[in-house]
Amino acid sequence: MDDHDLLTAIAGGDDLALRTLFERHAGWLAARLRAHLPAHAVEDVLQETFLAVWRGAGTYRGAGQVGGWMWGIAARQAALWARKHSRPLPDLDLHMTDDMAAQSALRIDLQRAFARLNTDHGDLARMVLIEDRSTADAAQRMGIPEGTVKSRMHRIRRLLRAALEGGSS
Amino acid sequence: MVTNTTPSVAARGLTQRIGRTTILNGIDLQISGGVVGLLGPNGAGKTTLLRTLATVLSPASGELQLLGHDPRRSSERTAIRRRLGYLPQHLGYYPGFTVFEFVEYFALLKEMPADEVRPAVARAIERVGLADRAKSKLKTLSGGMLRRVGIAQAIVNDPDLLLLDEPTAGLDPEQRVLFRALLRDAGQHATVIISTHLIEDVAAACTAMALLDGGRIVFRGTPDELSQLGDGGIGDSALERGYTRVLTGARG
Amino acid sequence: MSDHVPPDVDFGRVWSGVAGRVWSPPTSAVERAMARLLGSSAFARVIVTTPSLVVSWLLASVVVLVVGIVVTAQTGEPWIAVLAPVLAGIGIAFAYGPGVDPAWELSRSMATSERAVLLSRVVAVFAVNALLGLLASIIVGDALTLTLQWLVPMAMLSALGLAAASASGSAPVGAAAVVLGWALIVLGGSVSLGGMAAVQDARLMPFYSALAVLLACVALALPNRKATGW
Repeated sequence: MDDHDLLTAIAGGDDLALRTLFERHAGWLAARLRAHLPAHAVEDVLQETFLAVWRGAGTYRGAGQVGGWMWGIAARQAALWARKHSRPLPDLDLHMTDDMAAQSALRIDLQRAFARLNTDHGDLARMVLIEDRSTADAAQRMGIPEGTVKSRMHRIRRLLRAALEGGSS
Repeated sequence: MVTNTTPSVAARGLTQRIGRTTILNGIDLQISGGVVGLLGPNGAGKTTLLRTLATVLSPASGELQLLGHDPRRSSERTAIRRRLGYLPQHLGYYPGFTVFEFVEYFALLKEMPADEVRPAVARAIERVGLADRAKSKLKTLSGGMLRRVGIAQAIVNDPDLLLLDEPTAGLDPEQRVLFRALLRDAGQHATVIISTHLIEDVAAACTAMALLDGGRIVFRGTPDELSQLGDGGIGDSALERGYTRVLTGARG
Repeated sequence: MSDHVPPDVDFGRVWSGVAGRVWSPPTSAVERAMARLLGSSAFARVIVTTPSLVVSWLLASVVVLVVGIVVTAQTGEPWIAVLAPVLAGIGIAFAYGPGVDPAWELSRSMATSERAVLLSRVVAVFAVNALLGLLASIIVGDALTLTLQWLVPMAMLSALGLAAASASGSAPVGAAAVVLGWALIVLGGSVSLGGMAAVQDARLMPFYSALAVLLACVALALPNRKATGW
């Protein structure tokens, strides 16, 4: 069964499919996480990641590779772990591609795009996109209404997308 | 914790009665680790001995220490039971429970720390090869699978003393091989006592054994030693011949 | 970027943690609250799995009491005082013991002893039935004294159910003893004293109390059926 079929099965409650997915992907996920986190944290993050996969398999829309989708979940769980344990956020790539060169180019583009955001936008982008906070939470922290947060996030996403599509210059 | 100096089982003059019948007649037994087989004909007292070691029965008389504690004292009995694993001959099951729920129920009754329960139950279920039936209701399982569920609840708390009464009943030969591997693995960190009428179970998995007849221990040693007594005995294997020879000798 | 599977990550432990949550149903709110209240997950699980406290059983009890409410409204007789005690007695006969627990032998080797399990279930069943009966009494508009009074025969029938089920090793036998015993008492009271004297006459309460204590002692002192236990 390929990864897409596995996810469909998992969404239908097949725990054996989850086991298979675990056997396929836990290794490289752990390898990537281990570069930034201690071993016991990797174990906790991996556990939460696969539980999130179990609960959210139905939300996978088939866009991109399953591995990339799972890495997104793992990165978010790692950020949550860091927040819970009051550690600095790990510097994790948010996007996964097979091409190493494209990967580092993407990372550079993303960093540049982030850098172009003014301070307010930068703080907000980090809170919502990296720390995975809700818009309500971010609004409270910044002392602005939630509606303002939502419209700013809309603009931030547009800016980031434009910066990424503009490519490396 | 089983140390090198504390025997897991120390019995002296242990007697057991059911009604007016004496089932165990002065058992002297010391066991400190390994996989020990209890062999004997029907009615020899194997089950009664195991039930006494499992603290289900109180001894009629004699001395008994389990894992360094006295089972006659209530608080020590509870301490023993937390470190105990027991599979009775006839387990019984709750038909509406799933495999996971059943093993979890007894993990809770063994007073395992709450946050350790679920991962331990999952691990026990995987060790007995029932990972694909974890969420199945017990009423849908075959006899052999139910036996394995019973083994899972016995090992869930990583016991220091594991007591299994006819554990391979209902298992097919392939499952029996897997089970013996499990026994050897368990015997590394715990004392395992298995009561069986299958001589090949003893030969394959046990490091030591005791032969019971008429409520007494008539042989104590290793399977090899019993085999060596087999000259002139009846049986297809050396162990079987030793078995029959010792029994006739004890009764003669 | 590391390509090597890290050797210090315990994948077995990770999977056991995942499987433990995937394979188990989420604990109900009732069970979680009880675990916090009692300070013990074991007792919470034990109570929640009592055969006579499952939803279907509770619904049946509610139906019986609703019938009682209707009949009381029509006849004016204190039917709740008759029905609530017998429901508790039957529920306790079916709470625990060799007649109810197929894994009885195994249960007797557990750190949480079968005595402790029995006691917690008996208390839970009694409390639930007392509460249901109280609610029914309020709906019917019974005087408070009458309501509190039927707790005494409820205790007596509970003790009877426990003693009979323990002695016979069978829950249905215990339940039958409860139903028969109470029927005889109520009928006897009706014949000799008139009406529902068995539940209304305060002079009978000390007698019921004494019987409750006696039967409870019998139940607790009974040796185990199969062989001498603890």
